[in-house]
Amino acid sequence: MSRSLEDILFAAPGPQARAVTNAVSAIAAAVLLLLAVAIVFRFHSAGQLDAPYWEFFAWPTTWSFLAKGLLGTLASSAMAAVISLALGLVLLLGRLSRLRLMRWPSIAVIEFLRGTPTLLLIYVCFLVLPSVGIKLSTYWMLTLPIGLSTAAVVAEVYRAGVLAVPRGQTDAARSLGLTEVQVFFFVVFPQALRYIVPALVAQLVIVVKDTTFGYVVTYGELMQNAKVLIANYHSLVPVYLVVAALYCLVNYAISKASQRLGRPMH
Amino acid sequence: MGEVSRLLADYGPAFWQALLLTWKLTVVSFVPGVMLGTVVAVLRLMPLPPLRMALTVYVEIFRNIPSVALLIFIVFALPDLNIVIDYEPSVILTLTLVCSAFTADYLRSGINTIPGSQIEAALSLGMRPLQIVSAVVLPQAMRSVVQPMTSLLIALMLSTSLASQLPFPGRELTALVSKIANDSALGIAAFAVAATMYVVTGLLIAWAGAALEKKVRILR
Repeated sequence: MSRSLEDILFAAPGPQARAVTNAVSAIAAAVLLLLAVAIVFRFHSAGQLDAPYWEFFAWPTTWSFLAKGLLGTLASSAMAAVISLALGLVLLLGRLSRLRLMRWPSIAVIEFLRGTPTLLLIYVCFLVLPSVGIKLSTYWMLTLPIGLSTAAVVAEVYRAGVLAVPRGQTDAARSLGLTEVQVFFFVVFPQALRYIVPALVAQLVIVVKDTTFGYVVTYGELMQNAKVLIANYHSLVPVYLVVAALYCLVNYAISKASQRLGRPMH
Repeated sequence: MGEVSRLLADYGPAFWQALLLTWKLTVVSFVPGVMLGTVVAVLRLMPLPPLRMALTVYVEIFRNIPSVALLIFIVFALPDLNIVIDYEPSVILTLTLVCSAFTADYLRSGINTIPGSQIEAALSLGMRPLQIVSAVVLPQAMRSVVQPMTSLLIALMLSTSLASQLPFPGRELTALVSKIANDSALGIAAFAVAATMYVVTGLLIAWAGAALEKKVRILR
């Protein structure tokens, strides 16, 4: 992998092609700039750039409140990730088992958890479980459903990785006299993990996104705290913009980290 | 079981309508999302740095923003900018934007699977870059992304549960379950029925995707 496809595609433009490209580039830049100006103007004409909507962002209390929300988001995400990585492995082992008694229930659980919206699971923990006498804290009402539904996806991601490991690896390890369990944990699974690190981390992004539902159960994560800020300062657009930017930054950082982890393999 | 039959007697038609609304929301956001995403993926190949940069920002924003946050922004914040979009179109717009970003991203990785030598070969045959994109790059990229696109469609179908956050007149499955759980003691049965509907829909999509994948995959 030396050159990317588009570099090959447009490798040696002639003088005319270069002139056209430059002209179109300039036009595109102008249009984009115009778009940006139009957006700013829209903010201005709607009065959204007025100081009262933004000044509380200069106060440290605002940021510490948002940071607290972000911490709540991360606490819930981290626990959900741990649950899903561990439970996902259990589901994977069940899924790969030769015993039908293990395999079929595992498949059923995976398909059920994977095929149901996380939000629906959250509603079950929030609305249905209390009516049958199970009371969870808001943290667990949010974290448990996310962890469960992610576990099913993680199990499938693990499986994709395991299936991607060349068969020759298993054959070679078996012919060296390793037992089936050894082959799985020392040869296949570690290699599978390397294949799927990007996918697993992409899953972490989805976990962080799912914690946004915290406001449904009033768990103090970023979105919920944003709602509180809005209620206090009546400043909808700026707060939502800042919060959206925070989410994007966190998730972007996670994706970039995954790409870096995936790189040395190639 | 008794509960489920009682529930279906009371809410049977409502469940059917909810399922249809879920399907409808899925389709009307997936189709434009894929088209928009394809356009974005192709434009990102062009040697136009400003456009590439803007589209990369576009993809990263809508790939990384939580759908709920985007939906809430569209529904509650945009009116403050004098842009009012009705509830249902807001949901569709949210899902379309998110879908387009993921489509563009998946197509990008599909494009990356194409060996550079193919492009060189096509160039040496005298094909122009845009011809190569439409005749060599896109067809192969499309074929190699059937699997991720199937997952995306399923994820999108599950994301239509977002609509339950808005007070729309029509209820999709999640909204219906939360209403039933609020109104009666049939919450668990309602959850079981809705979950079954979601799972079956997802399995159908997965099955169709696998069949398509088998038909179009490229063996290398």
